[in-house]
Amino acid sequence: MTRTLAYSLYQVSKLNKWAFKLWSVYDSDHNLMPQYLPAQNFKGFNADRPRFLTKVLGIATWPDIIIISHINLAIIGLVVKMINPKCKVWLIAHGIEVWRPLSALKKRFLKNCDKVLCVSNFTKEEMIRWHKTDPDLCEVLNNAVDPFMKLPIKFAKPQHLLNRYQITAENPLIFSLTRLASTEQYKGHEQVIKVIKNLKPRFPRIKYILAGQSDPEEKIRIKELITKYDVEEQVILTGFLDETELADHFLLADLFVLPSKKEGFGIVFIEALACGLPVICGNSDGSVDAIRNGELGKAIRADNLDELDKAITESLTTPLTENKRQHLQKQCLLHFNEQNYRSYLQQLLVDE
Amino acid sequence: MISTRLNPDDIYEKVSIMCRALQHGGPDDEGIFLDKNASSAFGHRRLSIIDLSKNGHQPMADDQKRAWITFNGEIYNYLDLKHELRQAGAVFCSATDTEVILQAYLHWGTAAFAKLRGMFAFALYDTINAVTYLVRDTNGIKPLYYHINDGQLSFSSEVKALKLAGIATEEDETWPVRLLAFGNIPEPYTTLKKVFSLPKGSFLTWDHHHNNHAIRPYHITSAVSYITDKNQAEEYIRESLKTAIKRQLIADAPIGVFLSGGTDSSLITLLAAQHKQQQLKTISIFFNEKAYDERQYQNLILDRIEGEKFTHLVKQNDFDAHFPQIIDAMDMPTTDGINTWFISNYAHLDGLKAVLSGIGADELFGGYPSFRRIKYLNYLRKFPAALLNLTTYFTTDRYRKISFLKHNHYLADYLLLRGLFVPADIAKILNTDTRQVNEILFNSAPNITRGGYNEELAAWFESNLYMQNQLLRDTDVMGMSHGLEVRVPFLDEDFKKLAESISPGIRFNNHHPKKLLTDSFAAILPPAIWNRPKMGFTFPLQQWMKQNNEMSDESLYKGEKAKNIIKAFRKDQMHWSKVFALYQIQRYA
Repeated sequence: MTRTLAYSLYQVSKLNKWAFKLWSVYDSDHNLMPQYLPAQNFKGFNADRPRFLTKVLGIATWPDIIIISHINLAIIGLVVKMINPKCKVWLIAHGIEVWRPLSALKKRFLKNCDKVLCVSNFTKEEMIRWHKTDPDLCEVLNNAVDPFMKLPIKFAKPQHLLNRYQITAENPLIFSLTRLASTEQYKGHEQVIKVIKNLKPRFPRIKYILAGQSDPEEKIRIKELITKYDVEEQVILTGFLDETELADHFLLADLFVLPSKKEGFGIVFIEALACGLPVICGNSDGSVDAIRNGELGKAIRADNLDELDKAITESLTTPLTENKRQHLQKQCLLHFNEQNYRSYLQQLLVDE
Repeated sequence: MISTRLNPDDIYEKVSIMCRALQHGGPDDEGIFLDKNASSAFGHRRLSIIDLSKNGHQPMADDQKRAWITFNGEIYNYLDLKHELRQAGAVFCSATDTEVILQAYLHWGTAAFAKLRGMFAFALYDTINAVTYLVRDTNGIKPLYYHINDGQLSFSSEVKALKLAGIATEEDETWPVRLLAFGNIPEPYTTLKKVFSLPKGSFLTWDHHHNNHAIRPYHITSAVSYITDKNQAEEYIRESLKTAIKRQLIADAPIGVFLSGGTDSSLITLLAAQHKQQQLKTISIFFNEKAYDERQYQNLILDRIEGEKFTHLVKQNDFDAHFPQIIDAMDMPTTDGINTWFISNYAHLDGLKAVLSGIGADELFGGYPSFRRIKYLNYLRKFPAALLNLTTYFTTDRYRKISFLKHNHYLADYLLLRGLFVPADIAKILNTDTRQVNEILFNSAPNITRGGYNEELAAWFESNLYMQNQLLRDTDVMGMSHGLEVRVPFLDEDFKKLAESISPGIRFNNHHPKKLLTDSFAAILPPAIWNRPKMGFTFPLQQWMKQNNEMSDESLYKGEKAKNIIKAFRKDQMHWSKVFALYQIQRYA
């Protein structure tokens, strides 16, 4: 999402003739993808935090507005504010990184923030609940579909993927994509595995593709679950999926399911929708913004297997026509396009 | 436009400008007909719904070019009339309803107008007799504005076209008074001097030889004999509404229904689904704000029907982002229409060209609080005048409105029930005196004597003032801004006539609004839909406008009174519709 932010900020700055620099602590210069931003606007510090901080000290008097893209960089914000109190400091609040008690340093930084851009209304509410952030300082800036994501025009299932997974277009196919970490077991893929067992008799040809990088521990746990629930025939684990293959997987599937409990926004939902794929998400986090509270997708109680079962059944029994996919894509892009994102960002910057 | 003052090229130019100003409502085609000898031109922007072919191009003439027409709207009984006309010897070249109007006129003369069932506004030029008629439907669903000055007639579907073409440029300075009192600009007035709305159910005749005009009603309301049997009334209602909906579903382009979750739109949806089955599309809107989220009611209906169901979320952000566009689309200031703008926008994006809406049932069957309140007027009207003067000292608007009783005028009665600001406040806001405000409101409009203060009078007020000037005008202009035609089956001429011929004793019920209507359809309408507090098609505008930076910024408003109103609004002590009216006044001023 930082790429889209960078692109939008660059475009806004170009239009208004503002100077704009993007500095990344953890990337190096060669990580830059030039379609988002020209090299002269970018600097990567290759995880060299001390050098990053020193450099920031050097330029702290220059900017009018500095946007801190993660609360872990609170120190940067504080330092800039100290040296250059006139500089407006904004923070982007994503999800779980701020829905928790914060260190004294981060708290102090929050007190000095001029604006908090929350990726969802849920995150905004959590900011207010956890940190008593002034609601007037919080702006909800929903994520947008990456302007360079290759979006489908035709909605046929890609043959090469059908071949790769040895399935046919007649297999009802559910898809989840998430990082599979043993420390982040709130993603809800476990719930889906359990439900697949119940769905099997009603949808004998059902398949479930669970994609995403996993740590070894979680991989073992998932495999055990698959065996335990007797769904070896149904579940396909792909491991890490390259970005270039993402859209094709969304086209391959009939339904995207991720009953997660801790999504800040859930950009994967709008990516799926932008490819015309119906989605089911959890109803207790920022995902609700991504599906526009039910307009674009279905939200369920993430722990409730019956609800999940019912929602999947309903979706799989409703024919997913080309028209419907197209309509879903159109609706998603109507709200979560980079143009809207950019103009809202511009509005906020101008107002500041 | 008809003008012997201008040369034909100038007339053509002005009509082209008007066409461009109205292209949002007619995205599919444009046509201009110029008759140099008659110094007359008709312009037309087409939204094709019936006969999508080129045969529907307008302005249209009959094969011998005896008459020309430019027509906005829909004639629902055109197939019946066509049949009748064919038997009388008429020959048709297209499948349009437009041609039926032409032939009807050529066969029956102006008596044809009363035979039309539908929503329409058209201009018809009779080349043989050298007259042009402007005609508007009996319920005033479609707008028709005209401007007469110095032997020149101009007309249009929106006021802004006349302004942009430089035809009527002078502002009518009294509109802010009307807006603050009514919440809209009541017919026949507009924001422009000498631009008026043609009264519904009437036609204007323009004599090309003498350049003069006359306006006459074509629809004579006959004395009614009441239906006094409830069962019979219910049966008639069922039959007549079904007929109305069936004929309003006529379309060659995709058609849908606005479903809000209330009784009226639910009923229309269920009845339309009986004809259209899986082809019926529904459009609904919901909100994150729980108190306004009607999805549970919408779903009760959606679960009972087939067809594509579009539901859309509207958020505070959407409101902020589109607010300037909404204001632009309004044509004239009003305090409603935001809801229709959004749902029309979505209907358009979902591929629809026409939709049915539930407007009109509240007015016919007593769905508003005014139906109960009106009886108090009987007592209040007996107060001595001296007592009424004291009402100025009341602080809450509710009681201050009693001051309207000082005026023995039907509009004063209406404003007591429905008004926004009282004259004393309007005077303060506009920095003028109360006498002048009263002069504009009551002395410039002719008084009409109606019967006693009963439900029938309330129905008359609601239909002729609130619905006419606010609901219908706003709905049409907002729908048209998205190239969407909004049809209103409850206002079908025959259905309305039937409803009005039901004895008030059974037509209205003091305890349950619209009881006769819901009883008539008890077999299909789930009780949960009607047996609950009235919601209407309501947006969380109090909150949204309060959070809208511009609207709630008191520094934008001129004068102490206006600033205080905004302050009170921010403390939730003022209704958004008042602030919305004020906002538009400061914006246009």
